[in-house]
Amino acid sequence: MKISKQARRDAKQLYRGCRVNELLDEAKVRLVLQQVIALKPRGYIAILSHFERLVRLDLARHTARVESPMALAEPQQASIRANLMRRYGNGLTVAFTLTPGLIGGLRVQIGSDVFDGSVQARLAELEASL
Amino acid sequence: MSSILQEIESQIAGIKTTVMKQNVGVVREIGDGVAKVEGLTDAMYNEMLDFGGGVTGLVLNLEETEVGAIVLGDYTGIKEGQEVRTTGKVLQVPVGMGLLGRVVNTLGQPVDDKGPLQTDKTYPVEKIAPGIIRRKSVSQPVQTGIMAIDAMIPIGRGQRELIIGDRSTGKSTICIDTIISNARLNKAALEAGDKSYRPLYSIYVAIGQKQSNVANVVRVLEESGALPYTIVVVASASDSATNQYLAPFAGCAMGEWFMDNGMDALIIYDDLSKHAVAYRQVSLVLKRPSGREAYPGDVFYLHSRLLERAARVAENFGNGSLTALPVIETQAGDVSAYIPTNVISITDGQIFLETDLFYQGVRPAVSVGISVSRVGSAAQVKAMKQVAGRLKGELAQFRELAAFAQFGSDLDAKTQGQIERGKRIMEVFKQPPYNPIPIEIQVAVLWVAQNGFIDDVPVDKVKDFQSKLTDFLTTRKPQLLAKIQKEKALSDALTAELKAVATEFKQSYK
Repeated sequence: MKISKQARRDAKQLYRGCRVNELLDEAKVRLVLQQVIALKPRGYIAILSHFERLVRLDLARHTARVESPMALAEPQQASIRANLMRRYGNGLTVAFTLTPGLIGGLRVQIGSDVFDGSVQARLAELEASL
Repeated sequence: MSSILQEIESQIAGIKTTVMKQNVGVVREIGDGVAKVEGLTDAMYNEMLDFGGGVTGLVLNLEETEVGAIVLGDYTGIKEGQEVRTTGKVLQVPVGMGLLGRVVNTLGQPVDDKGPLQTDKTYPVEKIAPGIIRRKSVSQPVQTGIMAIDAMIPIGRGQRELIIGDRSTGKSTICIDTIISNARLNKAALEAGDKSYRPLYSIYVAIGQKQSNVANVVRVLEESGALPYTIVVVASASDSATNQYLAPFAGCAMGEWFMDNGMDALIIYDDLSKHAVAYRQVSLVLKRPSGREAYPGDVFYLHSRLLERAARVAENFGNGSLTALPVIETQAGDVSAYIPTNVISITDGQIFLETDLFYQGVRPAVSVGISVSRVGSAAQVKAMKQVAGRLKGELAQFRELAAFAQFGSDLDAKTQGQIERGKRIMEVFKQPPYNPIPIEIQVAVLWVAQNGFIDDVPVDKVKDFQSKLTDFLTTRKPQLLAKIQKEKALSDALTAELKAVATEFKQSYK
C-alpha cells in the first residue's frame, strides 16, 4: 500500500503523542487506535499501518530476545537481564527463547543490535574464513 | 601431521574472540538492484553491507526507519526478509602496479583470463580530492600524438579536458590514440634508460558500452603494445546501473594511487553521459526527488567531485598527477543540453568534435573554433609553442575568409595566399586512427608548413608530401629529430638546420 507523506507525518505525530518519558505507553497506543478507527480521518488505514510500523520498531528496540540452546537457570537470567538493563536503560523487556540450533552459547538481539556468542555463529565464521 | 593439528588449534584459538556486537537489518523490499532494509540503525553513508552469500551492498539512503542500499553483483538471489549486516567498511578497490595490463570490473575483480591480481593494496572508492595546499598548477605536457590537439589544444598533466561530440565522431579514438602515444613514449624512455622521463600510465573506464566495443579497444591496445601500461575498468551495458555508477570512481581510485605515489596517470571516462543516465536510474529507484530531465539534484556534484580528484600535486607532496579526459556524447551537436553544460563548466577546456567535419573527411574532426584548453598552454613544449603559437588564430581567419571566398569574388593575392595556406594546414592536421605522431615530427612538419614549403604543393598531394617528409626525417635525419626532442625548443641554429633539411627534401620531392 502506498503511504502518503501526509499519512506518515500524521502517524509520526500520533506515535510521538504515545510516548511518555521516551517510553511507549501501551494504554495510549490503544486509545489512539480506537480514536482513529472511530473518527476515520482521511487516509486512516495508511496512517494506522505506518503507526503500526513505528510501534513495531519501537517495541523491537525495547525488547531483548535472548536465545539459548537450553533453558537458563533463574540466576543466569537475572544477571543477563541486569546487564542488558545497564546497557540499554529501563523499559527493556527481556524474552528468553529456546533455539537448539545454536548448539552452545547465547544470541541476544535488541532492535538491530545483535550480540552473537553462539557456537553456530562461530562455526559459520570459520566456514566463511576457509 | 602435528603441523596440521597445530594449524587447526591456532585457527580455533583465533576464532575464540570476545562476542562482537553486530548491527543487522531485514530486507523489506528488493528490486532493480536497490534494496530497502529495515533496521540497520548503525549504518553509515557509503558503508558496505553484507547480504550473505558473497553479495555486498552499498548504503546510499539513510531514512528514518530504513536504509536504501544498492546491491553490487547479483541481486536476484536476495529475498524479502533476509538478514543483512553492516561491515563497518567503505567500498574499496584494489590498486597498484599489479593492475597494469589488466581488465577489471567495477569492484576490481579481473575479467580477463590472466589469473588473480598481483596486489594487496586497496583504496576507498570515494575520496576527497586533494586540497589547495597540496596542488600545483599544470606544467608538464601530455602528448596525445594527435597533431591538431598537441598544436592548438595542448593538454597538461593534471588537467581535465573534456572530449565532446556526437555519436561516432571519433571521441574514443582520440582517447585510445593518447593511450597508445603515451605507452610508446614510456616504452622508448624505458629502453633508452631515461630516468628523467616520467611515465604516464593510463586507465580506461568504459561505462555502459557494448562488450564488443570494449573487446575491440582491448584488442587495439594489445596489438599496439599499450596494454602493459593501461588498466581497463569495464562496466558494460549489461552490468547493473549500480556498477556503471561506481565504475568511474573505482577507476579514479586506481589512478589516485599513482598520483599519491609520485607518479603520473591519465584516466579516461568513456562516457559520462551514460554514467549520468545510470546514476539517474539508481536515484529514481531509490525514490530520490528528480529535477531537470529527471536527473537527481546532485548530478552536478556527482561529476564535479569525480573530476575534482584529477590534480597536479606539488613537489613537496609527492609530485604526482592525475589527468582526466572525460567523454560526453551529445545529441545532434547540442552542447547546451544539461549534462554537457555541467561537465563543460567543471573541466579545464573541451575538445569538440563535429559530425560535419567528420563527413568532410577532416579526421580527427576537431572543431578548432570552439575547442579550448584553459590551462594546457603553460605545459606545451616550447618548440611546439614556437611553431603553433599563431596557428589557432590563422585557422580562424582562414575559415572566415574561406566562407567569404565562396561567393566567388576576386581576392587579392594576400587573402588568396592565406586561404591556400589554410587549406594545406587543414590537410596536415588530418591523421588516421591509432597512429599517434611523436612531438618532434609534429614540430618539424608544422615548421615546414608554416614556412611556406608546402604552398606550391597541390592540396591533394599535401598528405603524400607530409608522409614522405616524415620518412625522410626519420630515416635520413634522425639526429635532427633527436635534437628537437632533447632541446625542446627551436634555437636559431636548429631553425637554420631545419631550413636546410626542408630545402634538401623539397628538391628531391616529386
